[in-house]
This record gives sequence, C-alpha cells and structure tokens, in this order.
Amino acid sequence: MAEYLDQLEHRADDHTSAGDVEIQNYTINFGPQHPAAHGVLRLVMELDGEIVERVDPHVGLLHRGTEKFIEYKTYLQSIPYFDRLDYCSPMCMEHSYVLAIEKLLDLEVPLRAQYLRVFFAELTRIKNHMLNLGSHIMDVGAMTPNLWLFELREDCMNFYERASGARMHANYFRPGGVRQDVPLKLLTDIAEWLDTRLPRLFEDAISLVAENRIFKQRNVDIAIVSREDALKWGFSGPMIRAAGLPWDLRKSQPYDVYARMNFDVPVGTRGDCYDRFMVRVEEVRQSARIMKQCLAEMPEGPTLSLDRKVAPPKRGEMKRSMEALIHHFKYFTEGFHVPAGEVYVATESPKGEFGVYLVSDGTNKPYRCKIRPTAFSHLQAMDFMSKGHMLADTTAILGAMDIVFGECDR
Amino acid sequence: MGVELNPSPAAFGEQNALAPGAHVAPDQRFFDDLNGELTDKGFLVTSTEDLFHWARTGSLWWMTFGLACCAVEMIHVNMPRYDMERFGAAPRASPRQSDVMIVAGTLCNKMAPALRRVYDQMSEPKYVISMGSCANGGGYYHYSYSVVRGCDRVVPVDIYVPGCPPTAEALLYGVMQLQRKIRRSGSIER
Amino acid sequence: MRAPAPAYAANDGVIETATAALGAALLEAQDLVGEVTLLVERDQLVPAMIALRDTPGLEYQQLMEIAGVDYPSRVERFDVCYHLLSVTRNHRIRVRVRTDEVQPVPSVTGIWPVAGWLERETFDMYGVIFEGNLDLRRILTDYGFRGHPQRKDFPLSGFAEVRYSEEAKRVVYEPVKLAQDFRSFDFMSPWEGAEYVLPGDEKATPSGEHKAALPQAKGAPSPVTAEQVRRADDDKKDSPPNAPETKVTESPAQTGAGKSDPGNKPEEKPKDPDVIPSKGEGQNQ
Repeated sequence: MAEYLDQLEHRADDHTSAGDVEIQNYTINFGPQHPAAHGVLRLVMELDGEIVERVDPHVGLLHRGTEKFIEYKTYLQSIPYFDRLDYCSPMCMEHSYVLAIEKLLDLEVPLRAQYLRVFFAELTRIKNHMLNLGSHIMDVGAMTPNLWLFELREDCMNFYERASGARMHANYFRPGGVRQDVPLKLLTDIAEWLDTRLPRLFEDAISLVAENRIFKQRNVDIAIVSREDALKWGFSGPMIRAAGLPWDLRKSQPYDVYARMNFDVPVGTRGDCYDRFMVRVEEVRQSARIMKQCLAEMPEGPTLSLDRKVAPPKRGEMKRSMEALIHHFKYFTEGFHVPAGEVYVATESPKGEFGVYLVSDGTNKPYRCKIRPTAFSHLQAMDFMSKGHMLADTTAILGAMDIVFGECDR
Repeated sequence: MGVELNPSPAAFGEQNALAPGAHVAPDQRFFDDLNGELTDKGFLVTSTEDLFHWARTGSLWWMTFGLACCAVEMIHVNMPRYDMERFGAAPRASPRQSDVMIVAGTLCNKMAPALRRVYDQMSEPKYVISMGSCANGGGYYHYSYSVVRGCDRVVPVDIYVPGCPPTAEALLYGVMQLQRKIRRSGSIER
Repeated sequence: MRAPAPAYAANDGVIETATAALGAALLEAQDLVGEVTLLVERDQLVPAMIALRDTPGLEYQQLMEIAGVDYPSRVERFDVCYHLLSVTRNHRIRVRVRTDEVQPVPSVTGIWPVAGWLERETFDMYGVIFEGNLDLRRILTDYGFRGHPQRKDFPLSGFAEVRYSEEAKRVVYEPVKLAQDFRSFDFMSPWEGAEYVLPGDEKATPSGEHKAALPQAKGAPSPVTAEQVRRADDDKKDSPPNAPETKVTESPAQTGAGKSDPGNKPEEKPKDPDVIPSKGEGQNQ
C-alpha cells in the first residue's frame, strides 16, 4: 500500500507521465479569411487554453498603394480613391480631402454646399453605424437586428444613388462644394425617412439587444480602456468617447457648418465594448438630429464655388461660352494648381479622426498625401485590449473597434 | 415513361429558344401532370443529368471571400432587400462546404496565396465569380505595386461581374448567369 | 481664413512657448497656412517631445500621425512629420525631423505606444530607421517585399507581380510585365519648358544640337523621340525603297477602285415603288 502511495506521489510530480497531457501555450492563426475579421485581417494569437495571451495583428493584406497613386493623379482624379478607403462611409473620407485642398487654396465654399456636405456626412455616419452595429451584434450571436439595420442601410444607399448616381462610391464632394445640387424631392424623402422609417426600424432593432442579458454578458466589462490609455494609444472617435473623454472634432474643431449645429456628444462611463456600442447607437440619433437641422436651415444658392479655376462651369454655360468651354477642358485634363504648402486636416469620420496630410509643391498633383487612418491606432491596441480575455471575446472587441481594411491598409 | 423534372431538350431546343426578355408563364398542365404522377405512383422519374443540374444550380453555397468595397455589396445582396437565398445561394464561411467563391474586391499580392489556398480547399465541382473591376483586372488599382492585376491570374474564373462596385442586382445577375452556365455544361463524363 | 477647414485654437504664442521649452533643440519654427511646424534636432527628438507633452501651455497629449516625406534632391532626403494634438488646449502642431537612409531617428514609442505601428509604417514606406523601436518589421507591404514604395524613385508598378503557377502549384513572383504602360501626362506647353520634341517640330533644332537625353517619365513617351526622328531621316536619304514589288495601275483591280456604275440602274429598283413589299420579297430583303 505504501508502495502504491509512493508511486502516486511520484506520478504527481512527474508531468510527462502517461495519461497526463501537459498544456502549453499555443499559437493560432485567425484569418486572413475569417467572417468575423470584417475583412482581411490576420491575427496571430497566443493562447493559454482559451485565454488570449498575446495578439499580433498582421495588416496590409489590402494594401493597394493609394498614397502612391495620389501622387500620380491630379487633385480631382484622386477623390475617388478616398471613396474606396473606408468603403462603409465613403463621403466622410472625401470630406477630409476636399477640406485639405480648400485650406491650401484658401477657397470660400458656398453656404448651401457646406450644409449639403454636413447633411450627407451625417447620412454617411448613419450608414456606417448601421453596418457596424449590425455586424457587432452578429459577431456576438444575434442575427435579426442585422437584417433590420441593413434594410436602413439599403435606404441610405438609395439616397446616395439619387444624390450622386452611385450606390457606394459617390465622388460627390468636390473642392469648392459638391458636384451638383440635390433635387427637392430627395430632401423631402429623406426628411420623411428620418421621421418615420429610421426611428421605427432602428429603435426596434436596438431594443432587441440594448438591454438583452446575453448581449450584455458578451460585451460589458470586455476590453476596458482607461482615459490615459486612450490618449496614449491615439484613440479617436467613438473609441475615445467610450473611454470617457468628450472629444468630438465636430464640436471642438468645427468644420463646414458644424458650428451652427446643435447636438450632444455621448460619452461612455466604463470604456468597455458595451459603451462603444451604445455611444454609436446614440450617435445615430444625434446624426438624425443634425440632418433635420440641416434640412430646416439649408439656404438656397450655388452648390459649387464660382471660381472657374477650381470648379467646372455649368453644362449649359459651356455650350454657349467659348471661355467656359476652355475652362471645362483645362479643369478636367490638367486640373488646377494648388499653392505650395502643407496642411493636416482631420475630420470626425464615423470611425474617428480621419486626417489627410497634404503636401503641395505648386503643381496640379499632390507631392505627398499621407492618410491618417482611424483603424491603425485602434487595431494596434488590440494586443493590450484582448489580453486576458477569452478567445470568443476577440470578435466582440474587433466588432466594437469598427475596423475597415480599405482604410487601415490603404 | 414518367414525367421529367425538366422538359426534354426538344421542347426547349435551340431552334425555338425564347427571345430575350420573353415572359414564360408556368405551364399549369405540367404541374398537374407532376402532381398526378406523385399522388398516383409516389415517385418521379427524371434523367440523372437533369437531377445533377438541378442540385447544383439550386444550392450554390458560396464562400464569402470579401476583400474590399465589393464585400459590402456582397453583404447587401444577402440582406432582406435582395435576398439571394431565394436562389439557393447561401453564404458559407468554410471553403469545405462551399461550391462557389465570390472574389469581391481588390486582390493584393499579400493576399494572393491565401486566396489560392482557400480555392484549393474547396471541393469539386467549384466555381469562381470575380466581382468588381479590381478582381476582374486590377481596375482602378491596375498599376499598383501591390495589386494582382485580376484574380484570374491566381484562380480560374467562371463569371466576371463588372462595376466598381457592381450593384447588388448585378451580382445577383452574375449568380444567375453562373447557374445558366452550369446548366449548359455537361456534368457527366461519358 | 475663408476655407471651412476645421477651426482649432489660435496659434498665438505657441511658437514662443515652444521656443522657450525646447531651447536649442528647436532649429526652425514656422506658422504657415494656419499650422505651426517645428523643425527639431534629430538627436533631441525624444526630450523635445516630452517637453511638448508636459510643458504647461503646450500639453500635446496625443500623437495622431507620423508621416514621411521624400525630397530626393536634398542631402537629408527624408522628412518625418509628427502630428500632435492637444485635447485640453484644442490645438494641433507638427514636429518635423530630417534624416536620410542610414541615420536613425530616435523612437518615441516610450512616450506614445501608438508610435510603434506608425514608425513601422514609415520604415516600410521610406526605409527610415527608428532607433529604439523594438518591433521594426514591415507592416503594410507583402511578406518579403523589397524596396520602399513611397520613395520618389520607386516606380508606381513596382518590380514584382504574382501569378499562380500550375507547374509549381503555388503562387510565384515574376518581374512586372504590363500590357500597357501607366500613362502620365505633363501639362506643360512646349514654350513652358517641355523637353521632348513634338511631332512636326524635328526640323526646328539643327540636327547636331539635339539635347542629349530626353528624361521622360516612364510610360509617357512622346509620340516620336528625337533619336527615332533622325533615324527615319537617314533611312530616307540612303537606303533604297524596300517595298516588295512596284505598284502598277494597269487594270482596274490594281487601282482599288470600285465599279464604274453608281448602282442605281432601273432594273435594280423595285418594280412598283408604291406597293409596300410583302415579307420576303421587299427591297429590304
């Protein structure tokens, strides 16, 4: 008997004995093709059982060389590249770029154009959040709200199409204003949509999850980020607001007519995934509020600068005036020359601070255009945010970050 | 002889192929026959080839290979408004379960080996739909140092859907074209 | 400023405060297009950044962006621009250091951990080396990529492209071969200093005094280069015509002319022009 006990003790010391599997940390590869990765993300994760020890995100799987292309194209030709950066919120990407060009040119923009840009930027914010909220909900296991939110997104796409002619890549904002005025019927239709369809579908969908016990279990207290961390890691947008800092570029550094708008900035209390989700939910309501104000206050007038060097003449004018024809030709072939200088212009895109650092050397092409993606700093924080959480939580963390790879990898 | 699931080639042969856009009303007699056959005998007789075509076109489970902008339209085509599952095309996350891969978006050099690996993992018969101008031939990013000039350099493509991005309808039409292609091509080697 | 760009706190006094805080580390300070730029001594970057973060009146808590810029004509060809943001003072500032391919820039990852990836990207795109960044791998470009794509001397289409090889059963890399080159246009008028010879202008310059090399952008050939034009002239002067056979016009077939009659003879017309022809025998059949 004593011998047997001895043996047992010996066995307890010896980890490699038969039938006793030693558990080691192991590394798994998440992606690059994974439905919850929201694109082409590759995460190399080191796991201890099901606890995440270390995350090494590999990005660049959608690196298309946008910044290099912009150096080879005229200012006007590179606007569509911005649409294709964050393809969930195309017009907000254009916004930073046209503002940067306007700042270098010191160009005055007609008031109606500023209102239209704010109006469509907010429509874009709703559009973006519909996708993000829906996929976040889906990543943690609920299907139905996503279907409803996508129905709203489909409406937004129709409005895009009616304003610009394209469902997604609008190419609508131009230096000096917007491409063309919108029909009155579109504005009234959007106004009706804001009053009826949006609140009904959106509030219904959110009511399914906002107080849902399972949804809360998956999100509350997951990946808490403190204010200090949020500052150090360069967070912006809903990420920094969820961490408790009331920082919104639309409020603090207003561009276009945001200074005239009356809206609230939602701020999180705990800095977890649930807060990030709820900040976005509230932002949708505030965006609708801003859009209604735009509709109420929007003045009549031109929608594009009247400076013929930076904006094309009207079609009808072109048919009658030789000078207009020459301007039109020069504008669409050579483009316009931008005075030498450098600016960094950042706007509040739905995902955070989207900046454009534009260096001009006085020619018709940018010398350098550095794009500040929102996702870069957020994704970098993935390592410390998911440390100590379960493997299944990484999808919730990723969903709450709102990352789109067109913008992250450029 | 029993009733065939699909009419024989003589009924819908080349010589009286329908004009494009012509509306075909469902033949009530055909359904009555079918129904009678089922209630009477309890089984149907059809050709194996027809059966295979019906099975292949009716459940085109597709691999979600969303790479860039087109992925958003690809999601939209699955959502309630367009609802591609009407055509039996359901999204699958695993290449082992899927029949068709929709390459939606710009394929970059860094991603190309992964795309090929996913394609190799799919089981035969497999089809590829190339969606959008980037996947078709590089498109707006054709001259980039990091973009594959067309995903047909990496995988064989059956259907090209043009557009930047193609609308949801366009992708839906692409899927229907693929179904047509499957029906046209013989599936049994004799 | 008339443009509706983001409006943050005024730049008044920022340069003075920064000059006092940075001391000798500050080489140059500018206030252009409404934005303040500080040029900082490269070796003094880290203490300067700490001063910018901690000095009251500056308080730049956030590092938003690191951007490289390439000026190939300069000795220290690269600019590295740090964009800082103060959330308390609501102000932005740009800090710039200069470097070249070999001299390392001190890393600021110790101050802002977000700099890790931003420095990796600048390294990837320009080859700027950051001393103190422990994870200086490539980030955006392909695994095993060679070169630094954002440098001005890196061609837009790069050097390698991928293809699936049926023989090797894997994706292989090959030298770039484009069906059509990237077309880039300069929009200079010939009298503004365009360097190439336009078609029809060959005779304008005496043949001996051609400008030696025509530095054209790759993929943007002018229709005829000067060398080709001279060769064509030489051919005309010296060599005999090398057409396969002499062209003659002895029969109508050799001239390439058509039928002699215009084809509107009475017998070719419909029998009765007033009768609408029935299907199968009308004039349109």
